[in-house]
Amino acid sequence: MRLLNILVIGALILAASFVYKIKFDSTLQAERVAKLRGELRRERNAIAVLRAEWAKLDTPGRIQGLADRHLALQPVRSTQIDKLDRLPERPAVVVPSPGADPIGAMLAPAPDTTGSVSPPRRRPQ
Amino acid sequence: MNEPKRHTENRWQRLLRSLLYGHDVDRNVKAKARLGLAIVAFAGIFSIIALRLVMFATTSEGHGGRRSVTQDAVATARPDILDRNGEILATDVKTPSLFAEPRKIIDVDEAVELLTAVLPDLDTNEVRERLSSKRGFVWLKREITPSQQQEIHRLGIPGVGFLTENKRIYPNGAVVSHEIGHVNIDNQGIAGIEKWLDGQGLAALHMAGLATDQLQRPVNLALDLRVQYALRDELIAARDKYKAKASAGVIADVNTGEIIAMVSEPDFDPNNPREATDPNRLNRLTTGVYEMGSTFKALTLAMALDSGRVSLSSSFDARMPLRYGKFEIHDFHAQKRVLSVPEIFTYSSNIGTARMALSLGVEYHKAFLKKLGQLDRLRTELPESAEPLVPKHWGELNTVTIAFGHGLSVAPLQAVMGISALVNGGKMIPPTFLKRNQAEAEQLAQRVIKPETAEKMRYLMRLNVEKGTATRANVAGYYVGGKTGTSDKVVGGRYSKTKVLTSFTAILPSDKPRYLLLIMLDEPQGLPETHGFTTSGWNAVPVGAQVIERVAPLLDVPPRFDLPKADQMLLVSAKEPR
Repeated sequence: MRLLNILVIGALILAASFVYKIKFDSTLQAERVAKLRGELRRERNAIAVLRAEWAKLDTPGRIQGLADRHLALQPVRSTQIDKLDRLPERPAVVVPSPGADPIGAMLAPAPDTTGSVSPPRRRPQ
Repeated sequence: MNEPKRHTENRWQRLLRSLLYGHDVDRNVKAKARLGLAIVAFAGIFSIIALRLVMFATTSEGHGGRRSVTQDAVATARPDILDRNGEILATDVKTPSLFAEPRKIIDVDEAVELLTAVLPDLDTNEVRERLSSKRGFVWLKREITPSQQQEIHRLGIPGVGFLTENKRIYPNGAVVSHEIGHVNIDNQGIAGIEKWLDGQGLAALHMAGLATDQLQRPVNLALDLRVQYALRDELIAARDKYKAKASAGVIADVNTGEIIAMVSEPDFDPNNPREATDPNRLNRLTTGVYEMGSTFKALTLAMALDSGRVSLSSSFDARMPLRYGKFEIHDFHAQKRVLSVPEIFTYSSNIGTARMALSLGVEYHKAFLKKLGQLDRLRTELPESAEPLVPKHWGELNTVTIAFGHGLSVAPLQAVMGISALVNGGKMIPPTFLKRNQAEAEQLAQRVIKPETAEKMRYLMRLNVEKGTATRANVAGYYVGGKTGTSDKVVGGRYSKTKVLTSFTAILPSDKPRYLLLIMLDEPQGLPETHGFTTSGWNAVPVGAQVIERVAPLLDVPPRFDLPKADQMLLVSAKEPR
């Protein structure tokens, strides 16, 4: 009977300490959660501030002012824009043979054949 | 002596017992039953306590959240407003605000002294008055800086605290003022899209204190910030150059009804809403109504061509001024001959259009303008709108003048909607400031004129740029079409000879319009390089050309140089016998 009592008391103490430990851990976790939430909120607010600042720095008015001051660029005219497929074919690059003397070749009278350069392909306008 | 006493006691006791419990009750049994009852009762109470403890233990993590809720109590967050490419037009930034609880303040004088030392712009008397009141809560200063918050926090005044509030920031300032509108210090929308947002249920969320930033989805406008900026830049330059009272412009997508850009100069900075109440800074495009002048001739011609009774080869007599009662209608570019329909458009003949409208009758004219939404108040997302000024008794004289754009005042945005319908294939689409795709627009669209008529209108607009009043808008490669408009302003009840409102409505590209541009100048002055002229062709049209050249690459309209003349365009696309 006495043994049983002692056992029960022992079990009680064990259970109590176990529950206390769980409770303590959970409090710790809850505090961490609260802290992280606060941090998240702070970060989010900081992001909002930075986004607002970026938007402010990125306004077309400011960019135009900077471009006017520091760049020698002009507004694009419509005649300067064209489609890629209206570009003439790029002339093929003539690769001189490695053994040849490029300057000598240039000085030498030009041969009659210039067939390596394809004429630019004309598209109907 | 004792004996009788005990006896009497017993007798009394017996009597009491018999009265309370009856004669033959065993008290031991009774006691056991009571004990049982007490055990059950206590067990019940303890189990309730235990249960509550478990509940507290499981839900106690809420206390961190609860604290933040009280902190955000006045944090009436608003969703970000973005342009069509995701650029921020309006956003929230958290700022601390200083409040006090006067009942908790111990030494008012000390508190006032310390606070005014940190915040010199606080009014000493006002602060003292507020702190001496018996109220539970007073604001001392809204929206202070974080460093000021730090300093005040370090002062350690009891009864003074901070709440985090959302402050609305408009990074682009005045560029988008008229669309966005602005908010008051409590972050409630007062004008523009901000007010519209409140109408969409945000106000109710604010009232309930539930508008936290997690719930809010950004709002995408149809506006393109780059285009808006370019348009505004050109309009400011134009206003300075022509010394106009005001300038305004709209760029709309004719196929979806989206407003890509809208500027009304002078405007205001939404970060400083005090300017917004100045009547000179109102949005002339939605809240102003104007006689649009010759721009309305496009509507008259579309009506005539759509009726089937007038074709492009019809002609009208413009040899003599049109007399109507005591009024006489003249042409500005008088030709004094019989004009064909395209000539009426390109010479902008008042007489021709008036005769055209008269030939169809007053009722037909009225019904057509009604169908095109020119006679009713145009409602968009913007809360600001104006009722068009329609004559009460619409007689023949009214039809004559309205045919060339006098005698009926509409909001310019309304005219944009009507003319978009004339060129986009005949579908009227209500304009919107929010993003909308083609399919949504198709659902809202109403057919108002035949596609063939729209084809002819495009031809006429293009022709007008090639050899009419709008030749200065012929930007190489964009195939611009357009109609000019110059209307005399009403000053003191009669038409002024010198004060005019000029406008230019352009479509690009004319063969398959995507965008419509409206430029308006209020009272432009003649310049040496315009030879003193103040008509639209000399001011609004060149401004329009500059805007188109600058904006078309942003709108992804490729320049093309292989386009036919207007006459060929019609021959190719339509089967109109000419």
